[in-house]
Amino acid sequence: MSIPNELRYTKSHEWIKEEGDIAIVGITDFAQNALGDVVFINLPEAGDEVVAGESFGDVESVKAVSDLLSPVSGIVKAVNEELIDAPEMLNSDPYGAWIIKVEQVTDREELLDADDYEALCAEEG
Amino acid sequence: MIERLLVCRSGSFDPYHNLALEEALLHRVGKGELILYLWQNERTVVIGKNQNPWKECRTALLNEEGGHLARRLSGGGAVFHDLGNLNFTFLMSAEDYDLPRQLTVLEKACQSLGIPAQRSGRNDLLADGRKFSGNAFYSHGGKSYHHGTLMVDVDMEKVQRYLSPSKAKLAAKGVDSVRSRVVNLKEFVPDLTIERLSDALIAALAEVYVPNLSLRDQCAHWSWQSVLPVQTLSADEFDLSELTAKYASDAWLYGPKLPFTLSVEDRFPWGGVEIQLNVNEGVIRAAKVYTDAMDETLAPRLEAVLPGIPLRSEALSAALPEQQKDELLSLLRKAL
Repeated sequence: MSIPNELRYTKSHEWIKEEGDIAIVGITDFAQNALGDVVFINLPEAGDEVVAGESFGDVESVKAVSDLLSPVSGIVKAVNEELIDAPEMLNSDPYGAWIIKVEQVTDREELLDADDYEALCAEEG
Repeated sequence: MIERLLVCRSGSFDPYHNLALEEALLHRVGKGELILYLWQNERTVVIGKNQNPWKECRTALLNEEGGHLARRLSGGGAVFHDLGNLNFTFLMSAEDYDLPRQLTVLEKACQSLGIPAQRSGRNDLLADGRKFSGNAFYSHGGKSYHHGTLMVDVDMEKVQRYLSPSKAKLAAKGVDSVRSRVVNLKEFVPDLTIERLSDALIAALAEVYVPNLSLRDQCAHWSWQSVLPVQTLSADEFDLSELTAKYASDAWLYGPKLPFTLSVEDRFPWGGVEIQLNVNEGVIRAAKVYTDAMDETLAPRLEAVLPGIPLRSEALSAALPEQQKDELLSLLRKAL
């Protein structure tokens, strides 16, 4: 299982990368593995507000619909439209397949570094 | 850890009320609680959260024959419900969610009735290689549910009738149904009733979730209310008007952002017609019409009138020009 060092993580298995004022959000390798084959994604639109710890969309995998939780509060700057046609990229390249970019970030969930996230994953097995 | 078992049975056969109650129960369920919700819908096609109703179901036929279209929160494909089908939902906190354990409840209930149930790779239940229970899953806000059908004596002719493929050429994103061979449990247990199956589920729930409970020790004619450590939860304590309206609304059923294109064609005494439509949020956004009819105004008239019309029988019927209305309606009905 891959857990890149340069990213930070939520307890609900999203990753976040902050570049300047922009937060880039995706789901982790652990998450995609637990979900199974992702067949559909519901995304927000640019300009929508997201709230830390709350749902900003959902994914469907093997008949299961699950929330995507935002690690930060802010305004959606961009969504990865490629995922609409190819949601399976979340499985094949979870750290390349970013989901949303958030700007005007005002609040953050408690974020874990790679070591702490690895420990969490080990615990949840 | 599950410490409290609750059973809720809906007294209604209305799919919108029943889906509303299911969502209300998900909000209601507390930590350490498991709610088993049992419910039945009259003549209803239920599609998955991310499905296209025109692709999965003959919506016009279903509506005309007094049936209902419903969309659930969980994923997966389209299923047909009638009163020969029993739906179950296990609802609990996400940390208490344990799919293999929940499936064990279903298997034990089936075993107690003499049904040879097996799990399939898609978490469905099969008997004799045919599916009698389709299962799907939803989690939101730290709570999860696992629900499914149990086909006891479903009208198989209606399954075929309403879930048959569209006669239109349809290109849509969204989730496609996976066709399965299905079977009624009556084939294995001829005198099986919904009531007996419900009781078997509740007994199996207690057997799986209550340690050291041996049902064998109970008397032969037990009533689970008096014997099992399972409480009932009344559906009456919920105000479901708002949620019921959501599930019954066109916006929920037909309106999600699922853009698609479709094309229908046919030949009439006055000429052949092909209509191509772009549809999004349930409404025709653009129309292209090809025809070799003598009437040169037909194509431009249709192309002008169709955009903005919901892709539904009544709306199309009201919008179509009187000339050739019946033929055009029959043509567009291939898509409905």
